[in-house]
Amino acid sequence: MGSVAPISILEFPRLIRLAVLLLSILFALPLPVAGSETQRTKRILMLFSENKFLPGNALVEEAARRVLEKSGHPLEFYAEYLDASRFPSQNHYRLFREYLRAKYGPRPPDLILAFLTTQFELAGQLPAELFPETPVVFGALTEDKIRRDRLGANATGLAVRMDVKGAIASILQLQPEIQRIVVVGGTAPLDKLFLRKTEEAARSLAGRIQFDFWVTRPMSEIRSQVASLLPRTVILFANMFRDAAGDTFVPEAAASLVAAAANVPMYVLIETNVGGGAVGGKVVHFEAAGRRVGELAQKVLEGTSPTSLPIEVYSEGAPIFDWRALRRWGISESRLPPGSIVRFRQPSLWELYGWYIIGALFVFVLQAAMIAALLLQRARRRQAEAELQRNREELAHVARISTVGELTTAVAHELNQPLGAILSNADAAEMFLKMEPPALDEVRDILADIRKDDQRASEVIRRMRDLLRKHELAPQAVEINAAVEEVLQLLSINASARKVTVKFEQTAGLPRVWCDPVHLQQVLLNLVVNGLEAMAEIPEDQRRLMVGAGHDGDGMVKVYVSDRGPGIPGDKLPKLFEPFFTTKKDGMGMGLSIARTIVEAHHGQIWAENNGDRGATFYFTVPVPKDALA
Amino acid sequence: MTPDQPVIHVVDDDPSFRTAITRLLRAAKYEVRSYASAAEFLASPPCAAPGCIVLDLKMPGASGLELQQSIASTDEPLPIIFLTGNGDFPASVRAMKAGAVDFLTKPVERQMLLRAIQNALNRNAVERSSRANLRELKDLYETLTAREREVLAHVVGGKLNKQIAFDLGTTERTIKAHRGSIMGKLGIQSVAELARMAQDLGIRPIR
Repeated sequence: MGSVAPISILEFPRLIRLAVLLLSILFALPLPVAGSETQRTKRILMLFSENKFLPGNALVEEAARRVLEKSGHPLEFYAEYLDASRFPSQNHYRLFREYLRAKYGPRPPDLILAFLTTQFELAGQLPAELFPETPVVFGALTEDKIRRDRLGANATGLAVRMDVKGAIASILQLQPEIQRIVVVGGTAPLDKLFLRKTEEAARSLAGRIQFDFWVTRPMSEIRSQVASLLPRTVILFANMFRDAAGDTFVPEAAASLVAAAANVPMYVLIETNVGGGAVGGKVVHFEAAGRRVGELAQKVLEGTSPTSLPIEVYSEGAPIFDWRALRRWGISESRLPPGSIVRFRQPSLWELYGWYIIGALFVFVLQAAMIAALLLQRARRRQAEAELQRNREELAHVARISTVGELTTAVAHELNQPLGAILSNADAAEMFLKMEPPALDEVRDILADIRKDDQRASEVIRRMRDLLRKHELAPQAVEINAAVEEVLQLLSINASARKVTVKFEQTAGLPRVWCDPVHLQQVLLNLVVNGLEAMAEIPEDQRRLMVGAGHDGDGMVKVYVSDRGPGIPGDKLPKLFEPFFTTKKDGMGMGLSIARTIVEAHHGQIWAENNGDRGATFYFTVPVPKDALA
Repeated sequence: MTPDQPVIHVVDDDPSFRTAITRLLRAAKYEVRSYASAAEFLASPPCAAPGCIVLDLKMPGASGLELQQSIASTDEPLPIIFLTGNGDFPASVRAMKAGAVDFLTKPVERQMLLRAIQNALNRNAVERSSRANLRELKDLYETLTAREREVLAHVVGGKLNKQIAFDLGTTERTIKAHRGSIMGKLGIQSVAELARMAQDLGIRPIR
């Protein structure tokens, strides 16, 4: 209508701006997903041929429901059970139908899920009549009797194929030695369905395997008879809702009863019958079927027309086996067909208590290791102690050798006396014999004296050798006074050379001490020599060495060697008995340390004190055997 | 046994050795007396005869060296031969310095011992005679008057009679007279003898 001049948006009138605003808001809103219905709650009615308590029903129902719930729709579920096997009468069916009509008629459900075993009316005639608008999705146990024309126009679903032939084939594969199969079945309509299918399968294998159908025996008879079946026989449990006597069962429980009583393996046809003792087999999978039904239902809910979905035959499902039954009958898992599912695997002791076992083993090993370590340590300690003792003796020996220097003077003098006498006697004898007449009487005296001196010399040598010989600790009862005297006698030469007066203060009646005499004299020797040497620098008339032995309060004998030398400097006192400690210019420092070793090996004590006036006194104690104390 | 027969004194605390040595020396025709200790020796009646001592060095109680010192202080000290059981060098040096004749070790060889004893006895004889001589001299000296002793001292000082007379405040003639008396009493002929005699007696010459 004329030319339109371009204008800016701000010039647009207010209404236009409002429209733009509204449009933007609309665009910001989440748009409904293409193909979905509006958000109204959908009502789903589930119909079951059998009763609520069958595990199979529970499985499919839950599987289907879970799939549907995942879709996110708000849903309401209703479930009704025909219980046809237990209530097979037509009257019951009619009442069920009327019940449904009354209950759901006013408000028909949006979808019917029908889980059927035999009553296909539930998927066909019934919904068509009661709820003509409602689509139906069914799951049927076998594909028998399903005909499109019997179903309503609004129905689709799947039929689970029970492949009995395949099941029997897999049984034979597992146990090729089988010659006979006993088929146990029931009298309910569903039972008969199972039996019929089994008969079909059996016909094709009739030549090879002998099939016995037990359909007229009540459960009690079946149970007693399966207990005594011949070998190379297995049982195929078809199904049992009702036995020949008319008792009703939950099939799963019936299967358990038979399997428990049987003396041969028992195989089953449906998933839910596995777990009560049956070995298993190529079974119908309820849960998977239920899921598939749920998927189909979801499609229908979303708008797909049921007629556009073909009826499916569901035959998938790997064989399922009960691990416990496999073990009972000694069937190795390696013989199972590939892809088999093994259920009820009992964890081995290891799997159950693995950690505990590891823990216990660990503790055990630890303990064993500790015990071993302790034993080893004890062995090592014994070894070390033995070595220590050997070392001690070695050291004592070395020190003894090094006191040879001290003993040389004594030895030389002591030996030279008899030797000198012998020589001079011999010279004299020679001269007496040269006389006219020879002084034979004198010679006779001489010979006697020579013999005596020879013995004397041997004795000296023997004593010296005893002192010098490497010598194991050989304790015995020793008279301490005699031992001290012997040592002093030995050192008398040394003492007089040093101008030292030695005084031995004896105590009479001292008990004999328990010690090694040689070692004891070693200690005494050491202390006396030290005492003598200590007084080298003091005026001769003051050189006195006092040696004494007396009682000590604790049942020991105490020996002391006291000199009047310069004493022991305070700082040296604690180190006195340590090895390699010496104040002598050419001393080795071993004497006192060895003396201590010896005294302590005798369970005595050795120590030194400075005297009040001058000099030092060395003390040591030696034990007295208990019985001697009296 | 003549009074001049030398006597060997054996001092040793070891009875066996003591007996052996005694036998040996008796077989060598010596007169022997034996003692078990230095004390026993000192306690025994003094022996006027010549002789020597065979002494063990290391004995308990008074050691050999101590005995040596006490013997040396007697009128007629006997020479000592030390016998010892160990060759202790410091002791031996000390002993020799103190005048021992010899220092032998046990066991002792016969020849060595007898030779040492002979040496000792010889020395003893020499010493005895020189001691005797000295005693004689002393006796003679005692016969001199005090004045004569004075003159003697000056004479052996090498002074002339004139000087001596001047020193002593008397005449030369008197001095000459004293000299003759001295010579006559002492029984000597020359001044040289006089000088030696004076020396022996230990008289200090006055110069």
